[in-house]
Amino acid sequence: MESPHLIWLLFVPLIASVLSLIVHWFGDFTRPILEFLHLASVTATLVLTFIVAGQVLDAGEALAFSDWLRVDSLGALFVVIVGVMGFLSGIYSIGFTRHELAVGYTNHDIAIGGLDMGRLRVFYSLFHFFLFTMLLAVTSNNIIIMWVAIEATTLSSAFLVGLYGTRPALEAAWKYVVICTVGVAFGLYGTILVYSDAVNLIQETSKASLWTEIVKNASTLDPTLLKLAFVFILIGFGTKAGIVPMHSWLPDTYSEAPSPVSALLSGVLVNCTLFVIIRFSIIVNLALGTSFAQILFLVFGVISLAAAVFFMMGQKDINRLLAYSSPENIGLILIALGLGGPIGILAGLLQLVNHSIVKTMMFFLSGNILMKYRSRSLDVVKGLMQAAPLTSFFLLAGVFALVGAPPFNIFFSKFLIVSAGIATGYWWLMIVCMLLLMLAFTALFRMGSSVTLGQKPVEIQNGESGFTTLAPIAILMVLALVLGLFMPAQLTDLLNGAVEVVNAGVTATPLAGPNGSASVAGPLGGLSVESFFSFFSGH
Amino acid sequence: MLNVNLINTLSGLLLLTSLLVIETKKPRQSAILYSFQSLILVAIFLALAIRMEADQLYLWAASAFLTKVVLVPVILYRALGKVDQTVTSLNTVSAPVSVLLAALAVVVSFTVVSQIELKSAADFIPALAISVAHFFFGQLCIVTQRNLFKQILGFCLMENGSHLTLALLAYRAPELVEIGIATDAVFAVIILVALAGQIYKRLHTLDSAELQTLKG
Repeated sequence: MESPHLIWLLFVPLIASVLSLIVHWFGDFTRPILEFLHLASVTATLVLTFIVAGQVLDAGEALAFSDWLRVDSLGALFVVIVGVMGFLSGIYSIGFTRHELAVGYTNHDIAIGGLDMGRLRVFYSLFHFFLFTMLLAVTSNNIIIMWVAIEATTLSSAFLVGLYGTRPALEAAWKYVVICTVGVAFGLYGTILVYSDAVNLIQETSKASLWTEIVKNASTLDPTLLKLAFVFILIGFGTKAGIVPMHSWLPDTYSEAPSPVSALLSGVLVNCTLFVIIRFSIIVNLALGTSFAQILFLVFGVISLAAAVFFMMGQKDINRLLAYSSPENIGLILIALGLGGPIGILAGLLQLVNHSIVKTMMFFLSGNILMKYRSRSLDVVKGLMQAAPLTSFFLLAGVFALVGAPPFNIFFSKFLIVSAGIATGYWWLMIVCMLLLMLAFTALFRMGSSVTLGQKPVEIQNGESGFTTLAPIAILMVLALVLGLFMPAQLTDLLNGAVEVVNAGVTATPLAGPNGSASVAGPLGGLSVESFFSFFSGH
Repeated sequence: MLNVNLINTLSGLLLLTSLLVIETKKPRQSAILYSFQSLILVAIFLALAIRMEADQLYLWAASAFLTKVVLVPVILYRALGKVDQTVTSLNTVSAPVSVLLAALAVVVSFTVVSQIELKSAADFIPALAISVAHFFFGQLCIVTQRNLFKQILGFCLMENGSHLTLALLAYRAPELVEIGIATDAVFAVIILVALAGQIYKRLHTLDSAELQTLKG
């Protein structure tokens, strides 16, 4: 159905971005006006994401701009992630930036800086532009515009990463932009290859860049070209998603950016780039059978998981540890997608949603710690239990949630991944994964205990960080618990629909390769997505 | 109908100019050379427009002239005026090595491109291979040059390469798509220049080797 809300979903953050930049002549009122604008925009965006998701649930898809924008169940899942995490990061930003404003911007060469009014304006303006680019990436039906949007996410978040203007922040920002623009340029090559092949097959050339049209003609695409294109796409967008070995910018960027930005980068942006990779993998599955993309997913997934766990072991910096936990989870998601079949895909998408919730929460928590201690080092940050008991409680619970302890949400998605692995005959891989995850657990648990226990430095005052910086954490904690215990019907429907979209490559194509659908879906015969959900909801 | 050889030859000239951009010692000269190179790119777009009877490519040529021959070089030239010109162009590898690497990039690009079969670009295999090689040249420049502004020029070269690929393979794409890609490219340069400016102001260096506080 045609959806005007979809257009507004993109325009609201865009307008907020422009307005935030120009409100500087209101003197003392600038900050309240900025905050009001900000709050209004993230709230409106959240409402619009729910409306669009509702339209998708009702009608199957939401369309706008003569099909250039299109949201199906898969897209709606990601739109909701951007909306919810954007809203919560938005709320968190208010308390966080007020604190950083009080600290003040300084020209001295220090490790962790503060903000001034000019930088605050830039922060709010780019925050919304960043949201806009991410929403464009997940709502675009035009594969080249998808690329444009992903490239724009890098550009819009560059100054957010370097916002503090300190030496490490500027270094991180430079590295981030250079590595990601170079990486994503490979993605452009992949995209052009797919387009230039499709344009010869699709009569109406103006439609040849539309994902929906390419999917319709997927079985006639040139296989060699498509393989080359997909490798480019995986390397290109994989750089942005932090897939190892293209991840070298990631720990610096996540650790030096202001906490709400780190939360958006690791909890939302990563998903948007994975979304693009998944979109292309559907085309590849239809044209080549599922085995090609699945093997690549498995290989990169295992490398990412193993390398990330290795890097996590020795970390002394809270944010860097959390940063490396991202490729760990991306690795798991890729492994799940690589296992394939409805259960594998469901496990991957569920892990993606759950990781987004918990990782966003963890970066908020590290932000609260940073506000209190002005440090991220495990050598400095100690005794949080005394200093801020509530934050400390959330942090410990968060660590358990992140490592996938029951009853939190990640436990179930990891459980599902392992089930999918065993059902597809990859039991040995699952043993390796579980051993690696145990190592990750020790690294995270060591961080949790080191931060909460011990003697707090004498100069640190006791006290929590304030409502706007605690409430989003509490909401995410509730979400992590609730999704661990039962699935709301709407989310179940969205996930079901999304699995159907991704799995189209298995069910719809007569061209599925010899190792394609049969071998993967076969052993899963007794384990269906529906049975999984009914198991969870208890009926 | 225009001779295909002209397009392939002009593409060859692109490679030559980008080697000059990479190897010139003074960044400001590189910016001028980049402008000259972009002019060749515009000429290729015009030649392609005539050859393929693709009216869209006239618009591409016009926008490339505005952004790549004028806007981006002016931004770079002005920004370079504000920084210390004595910051020499340091390389991580010597000039002969980088020329060898460039030659390798050309060989690899030709091998890869001659493998793929694309009806739409059958006449332009050399130009296509050169565009891909040019893309790698840009990356080579980013990897081998330590001056931040040289790295920005590397990005520009890379972008010229992918722009030519785009013109050869995707000239039938809707106008909005090309506008989107070109806008990204211009903003990327603006943001990189602004960041390099901040780094220079704050850290008093343009040498990427001195930006090593972070562990990666």
